[in-house]
Amino acid sequence: MGVTCVCQVPVAEGKSVQQTVDMLHKKLEQLGAVKQGSFCVDCETYHATGNSSSQPSKLLYVMHNSETPLSCLALFEGGPCLIADANFDVLMVKLKSHFQNAKGHKVESRGSRYRYCDFLIKVGTVTMSSSARGISVEVEYCPCVVPGDCWNLMKEFMQSFLGPSVPELPSVFAAKPEGLFAPADCVDTMTQYLELFNKLRKLQIPGSNVR
Amino acid sequence: MQEQQPGGKAEKMADVVNVGVNLDAFSHAISGIQALRSSVSRVFEFLKDGMKNRETLEGREKQFISEFQENLQAVNRDLNELERLSGLVGRPSESHPLHNSGLLSLDPVQDKTPLYSQLLQAYKWSNKLQYHASLASSLLNQQSLKRSANQMGASAKRRPKVQPSTLVLPPQYVDDVISRIGRLFPDMTIELFRPNGTSAVLLVTLGKVLKAIVVMRSLFIDRTIVRGFNENVYNEDGKLDIWTKSQYQVFQKVTDHATTALLHYQLPQMPDVVVRSFMTWLRSYIKLFQSSCQRCGRFLQDGLPPTWRDFRTLEAFHDTCRM
Repeated sequence: MGVTCVCQVPVAEGKSVQQTVDMLHKKLEQLGAVKQGSFCVDCETYHATGNSSSQPSKLLYVMHNSETPLSCLALFEGGPCLIADANFDVLMVKLKSHFQNAKGHKVESRGSRYRYCDFLIKVGTVTMSSSARGISVEVEYCPCVVPGDCWNLMKEFMQSFLGPSVPELPSVFAAKPEGLFAPADCVDTMTQYLELFNKLRKLQIPGSNVR
Repeated sequence: MQEQQPGGKAEKMADVVNVGVNLDAFSHAISGIQALRSSVSRVFEFLKDGMKNRETLEGREKQFISEFQENLQAVNRDLNELERLSGLVGRPSESHPLHNSGLLSLDPVQDKTPLYSQLLQAYKWSNKLQYHASLASSLLNQQSLKRSANQMGASAKRRPKVQPSTLVLPPQYVDDVISRIGRLFPDMTIELFRPNGTSAVLLVTLGKVLKAIVVMRSLFIDRTIVRGFNENVYNEDGKLDIWTKSQYQVFQKVTDHATTALLHYQLPQMPDVVVRSFMTWLRSYIKLFQSSCQRCGRFLQDGLPPTWRDFRTLEAFHDTCRM
């Protein structure tokens, strides 16, 4: 429940995804972080059917976060979002006629969870159909609720273990400079994950033939 | 022949004139200590002087090492001599005549009931304790931490007549002072509760950064606890929770600093000035996450932002950077 930033870490030169993740773990442990279990964030895509063919079918994303295991988030990209109970998945099965599950488009990020002082760091491997696509790092500074206040602080912290690949202020925050980050929703966090997943999904399309 | 005395002591337990310490060996041991000291200082003098001049570098080094070894061996010899002598000196007898308590030493079973030796140790320990306590109290009295206008000691007779007027204030006056201070600072809201009797409990909300609970005793600040903006302030009954610590380390640190501050700002005769200074100091935390440390220039130290605010200048420092 604080300010969260999700960013992508490029795979190190000449190393595999797993090796880069191990390097990050080692750097975190050197800093003094303590491992506290694991996490998983996943995202499923649904096509909206039943609309007239003139409109492009909108994509509905249903996401889960192990940080809030009893809820699930459904959102349209850039559009409205809904926070529901975990039973929402079952509801989506019943709505098969309106929303079709795009199987094979399920993206998930799985990894370990570290705690350092008041920071929560999650380093995960992003996989799509069991092939590793990239590395996601989520840093959460729990005591603060206004992102504009603590951005410099978080950037300094991320620099200490990510090195040069420190991201800019996420676009979700740029939209609300003085606003209250509503942590109970975790909408902003999931929106950032969605952006990351979409970026990684698009990345693979020109490169590989495996589909 | 003098060495026999410690052995013979066991036979002559009641003979109080017998001194168990071997005085001759004692004086030899003292001169042994002096010899050891002089040989050790000779070693260091030699090291200080360094290598003496010879033709080749090797010659110099060899000469240096051999002399150094000689000096160290002299030290070793003196040390061994001293150990031998100290073995002869013996322990001071515990059968000294200490009036009535000396009669305790007449108990022959020394191993199971070492009463007398324990008594002596306890006595020495309590003497030392008293000495250290008097030193500590003289040091502590220099920094007076009394926060009431009471005078202890000399005016004990007059105390019932001189009632400290600042401790007994009408609640309405306290309310007025607090609301006046609340209006001074726009980004700070102060709510006053009276959950237990006449003592006021304030809930201070500072912007979107923190919430502080200040427990007062008439107009004196008694204790304070600081929690994050998103933390729960009320407990299950719906009353203010004044005991649970914050779950975040940064706010636990700020609570410690706030406690230091309320001990620092003291003026028993003018408590409203004290409350105002404390609130001004607390208000400087509105930029807790935005400021960098004035000394090292960084934002984080051990994962914590600069949590210390100087009492006079209100500048931000890390706890480990403060001067």
